[in-house]
Amino acid sequence: MAAIEVDGLSMTYRAPLRDAGLKAALASVVRRRYKDVHAVSDVSFQLEAGEVVGFIGPNGAGKTTTLKVLAGILHPTGGRVRVLGFTPWQRRTAFLKRIALIRGSQPVGGPLELTVLDSFRYQQLLYEVPEHDFRANLAELTELLELGPILQRQVRALSLGERMRAGLALALLYRPDVMFLDEPTIGLDVTAATLTRRFIAGYAERTGATVLLTSHYMADVQSLCPRLILIDKGQVAYDGPLEKLAADISPYKLIRVTAPQASTDDFAGVGEIVERADDTWVLRVHRDDAAQATARLLGTLDVTDLAVEEPPLENVIDQAYRGLATPAGSRS
Amino acid sequence: MRRLARLVVLHVWRQVLAWSGSWWFLLTLVAGQAIAPLIGLFVWSEVFPGDPRVASYYVALLGVQIMTASYENHTFSEAIYDGNVTHDFVKPKPVVIGPIGENLAIRAWMTLIGLPLLLVVGFAMRTTYAGGAVVAALPALVGAAILRFLFTWVLALAAFWTERVHAVVGLGNVLVFLLGGSAAPVVFLPEPIRTFAEASPFRAMLGLPAEIATGSLTATQAVEGYAWQLGWIALFAMAAVVVWQAGVRRYTAVGA
Repeated sequence: MAAIEVDGLSMTYRAPLRDAGLKAALASVVRRRYKDVHAVSDVSFQLEAGEVVGFIGPNGAGKTTTLKVLAGILHPTGGRVRVLGFTPWQRRTAFLKRIALIRGSQPVGGPLELTVLDSFRYQQLLYEVPEHDFRANLAELTELLELGPILQRQVRALSLGERMRAGLALALLYRPDVMFLDEPTIGLDVTAATLTRRFIAGYAERTGATVLLTSHYMADVQSLCPRLILIDKGQVAYDGPLEKLAADISPYKLIRVTAPQASTDDFAGVGEIVERADDTWVLRVHRDDAAQATARLLGTLDVTDLAVEEPPLENVIDQAYRGLATPAGSRS
Repeated sequence: MRRLARLVVLHVWRQVLAWSGSWWFLLTLVAGQAIAPLIGLFVWSEVFPGDPRVASYYVALLGVQIMTASYENHTFSEAIYDGNVTHDFVKPKPVVIGPIGENLAIRAWMTLIGLPLLLVVGFAMRTTYAGGAVVAALPALVGAAILRFLFTWVLALAAFWTERVHAVVGLGNVLVFLLGGSAAPVVFLPEPIRTFAEASPFRAMLGLPAEIATGSLTATQAVEGYAWQLGWIALFAMAAVVVWQAGVRRYTAVGA
């Protein structure tokens, strides 16, 4: 059985409308006008247990709405959703005890005056974690997330990175089977973001948890998610492996070659020069021609270094967002 | 049920800790709650200078006011507005436990901070109470605390529909002040307002415990008062469930 099943999910908001000015304001008192806003339209996908999937899209695409429906916060206007066999918006205790929703913007809820350890104890009672498991999990999380120095500090006094670590640890204390991560590295510095990513990857691997992650940082997606679901204007625009998206959208590869004796003329007919810095050249070549171009460069130039690279993910995603290409929608 | 009781206790304890650093603010809350009963005390003591029951009534009312104060429009409604309520939506517990815990914690702190004021005013006005009457008033005090919470909670849930929840709760508080026995003891109100006030939820959540504690009511009147109070508690408990369900339906449909 899939951990998450979404079939024809739709969420339509009814937003009030009125023209500018006093007359329109007065008229709206007696005659209200509304416009249907389709935040999510007929979205379908499945996540098997243990999958880590990136759920990306431009602002307003419907990512957070979908995540809120899956976590049970929002009641959709249409479609069928099952998470761990439960209908999320019924918010059964047995369901809530097996999921975690972590938001990078608000990683820790509850009174900010309490210490992190107070919050752990609260979580223990709330999720009925036996004392032995509590101690073992806390010790493990403390080590992995370097929580030792902050356990006795008030949540209010924590930095954003410390709050994120505390929020992750609080959410994982009860070993959820499904994790919804909404922008988990937002606002974090490079070190904290790396630690967070490494921890999430490790947790998913160790426990077999299913993870659905939204993020605007491609580093999160690239390092964590073998599979990508791209949503745009409330609809799934792509669902499949990350590499396939890159191949579908950008049929080029980049060859980064360092050749001290080379000149611009040496690359004529090999590929388009897109960058040059000192002795290093970056060429754009069609995917199908990459091997041939590489052989030609190695045969004709005195090459000291050469690498064949995928185009930067940011560029690929940007192209997808802009609709410059139409990616294949099927999952492989 | 045992887990639920432990969760309530834990929530109260968490909120007691959370509010422990805000005693200056709590002091202003106590002052805010004390003003109306003190004004009533001074005004009606001037009107009836020879009647010691007026002072006893208003000092008891001061205690009831402080011990039953409810601020769900400032606590829970704000959580709806800033979206923090969603944290509770994904926790395996009834959401109302949080507001109950915070309500009890604030009342505990306000009672502790307001006690010196209560004692000073009581001694200064030479108030006296019969032990039996005070004991008889204690269940009414508990009932008033429950009813005041339910009343404020139901009004505070208006935050699911409007951003003007303070105006809604403010109107409710004005009615409690006028008809609950704070502006004037209910017995001093002219007919037919008096009969209406006696049966109203406002007296049940404020004036009734003070009237019983000062021995102003006959046994029959006290029983009638308790009957009204229990009825209002049942009614507001049902209203709280209905409004909560409607509010959650709306919130989960539009995200407030």
